[in-house]
Amino acid sequence: MEQKYEEEIQMLQQEIEMLEAEQEETLRYIFMEHGDRLQRELKSVYKERGGAQKHTLSKLITETEINGITLNECFVKTLHKSERKLVQQLRLAGHCSVLLFQVEFAVTEIQEDDALLRRVTELNIVVDGVEFKDFSAFVSRVEDTKDLTLLFRTLRTFSERCEERRQTFQHFQEKYPDVVSLPEGCRSELMIIRSPQLPGISMTIFWKIDVSMEGVVKPSLELLLKMPDQAREFDTKKVMENGSDYFQSLLRVLGVEASIEGLIRTVCL
Amino acid sequence: TTPVHHQDVLTLNDHVWPKWQSIIMHSDGTHSLHFWVNRVLGHLMALERGGMGQQDQHDSQRLEMLKARAVTLRAKRDQIKQQTDVVKILKDKISKDLPLEDDAAAAGGFIEQQKSMLTAWRMQLKDLQRAHHLIGGYELVECKEGKSVCVSFHTAFEGVYLETYNMELDLTRTVQISRHNIPPSFPLESFAKQNLQKDFKAFLQTLSQNLNALAARRRQVCLLKELVGSVEVMESNQLCNILVLMCTAQSETPKAVLCTLEYGDLSQCLPTRVSIECEGTTHHNLTEPG
Repeated sequence: MEQKYEEEIQMLQQEIEMLEAEQEETLRYIFMEHGDRLQRELKSVYKERGGAQKHTLSKLITETEINGITLNECFVKTLHKSERKLVQQLRLAGHCSVLLFQVEFAVTEIQEDDALLRRVTELNIVVDGVEFKDFSAFVSRVEDTKDLTLLFRTLRTFSERCEERRQTFQHFQEKYPDVVSLPEGCRSELMIIRSPQLPGISMTIFWKIDVSMEGVVKPSLELLLKMPDQAREFDTKKVMENGSDYFQSLLRVLGVEASIEGLIRTVCL
Repeated sequence: TTPVHHQDVLTLNDHVWPKWQSIIMHSDGTHSLHFWVNRVLGHLMALERGGMGQQDQHDSQRLEMLKARAVTLRAKRDQIKQQTDVVKILKDKISKDLPLEDDAAAAGGFIEQQKSMLTAWRMQLKDLQRAHHLIGGYELVECKEGKSVCVSFHTAFEGVYLETYNMELDLTRTVQISRHNIPPSFPLESFAKQNLQKDFKAFLQTLSQNLNALAARRRQVCLLKELVGSVEVMESNQLCNILVLMCTAQSETPKAVLCTLEYGDLSQCLPTRVSIECEGTTHHNLTEPG
């Protein structure tokens, strides 16, 4: 008699687990495939009983702003769920300032006696943006080591350095439109300084932002001078040879903005 | 209580609370947050399910309990089945682009539908929050009606999630750190002096970078002990920025080699200087430039 009840109880528990999983799947599906429609329908419902949602949403927004990473898409698929183990696949897409990314990864969580063990078991990364041309070595390394959090920490720092570069380049182009040109746009690493009164002479600044395999972000600036052959005769002070070294000294003393400003001023005669 | 890792969020009193790794108590005995320890819930559930087999219970009492349990579960199953059906109908209607409100739908059914939609959305928000934390984002919880905020830093190394460090910041006059579980040797004060008042975001970023590096160095020491048998860790410190290892060099006569690793940059998990001593030969020093 007891056994009959015990069996029924176990069966019911399994059924409940299954139904809950089914419900979760269906709800996720609805949001995934028909998020727009859902949001529209929710707008009216929201006004009536939005309380708790508003709180969660505003908290999420604050966290996003402070984190610097915006997630536009978040798809979660639960592959396995039991009392002690959870396996999920996630697909996230978003941006960090102007840098776009898409990551797919799997997470396994195992509940041991007194600790929760969580690890990333698969990782695929796609990054998009003109700034990323030297990023691929780092990305491959992170995919191999599954270091998801390193990716985003580095992405944040990298995007800050890129933003500094972009703002500086744009600032100088706006301030000295006749002399400064950005042939590959303000998001590239190239800025050319040329005076219309001095044809054939140009100064090119390469502002590289290097990312090592360990995720260390290092900006570096280099100067390339071009002068027509006829002018070289007059280069008694060997400016062409030493110019780039002088520029490095200037950077150390004055910093980036002041150094570039100084260079530009020399051609604004 | 032993710390358990933060796993999920819990909705309580219409607020979404994370489950914290360690419990923070005030000196006056009050709690600033309510905590649900995963293990406690797990135990309750285990008790609910199987714990009724207590040897000293009367047989008929046990039978009554089982019967009652079966009835409860049956009711729960029916309720969840009903909810699931409503959700399936909702999915169906949305997939076929049908209106959700129609005259045929009973008023009660429509409210069920609304509830389902809210649940779907709540789930998405929950997923988003989890995703943020998995990618290493900071977690912020407002406490004491905005008078303080609690920040959690999740650390990880090569895909393995490690310690979570928590910090409570008092916001009443200036921003001040009131409570935390960061190791004392960590230069928290100097980071706070640099950035806490002027640039909160930079402060959090520096902390996250350095805490992750600390967790990574610590993990590397653990892995070294676990995986490499021929190496013995002679000395290490709380910040894991000095490591002294005894290795055995394989040669005709195995020699003991003492390696000292110094981690000059606390925001990194690779050493900046390595010196090697081997009995009978001269020192070799390797330094990483910069």
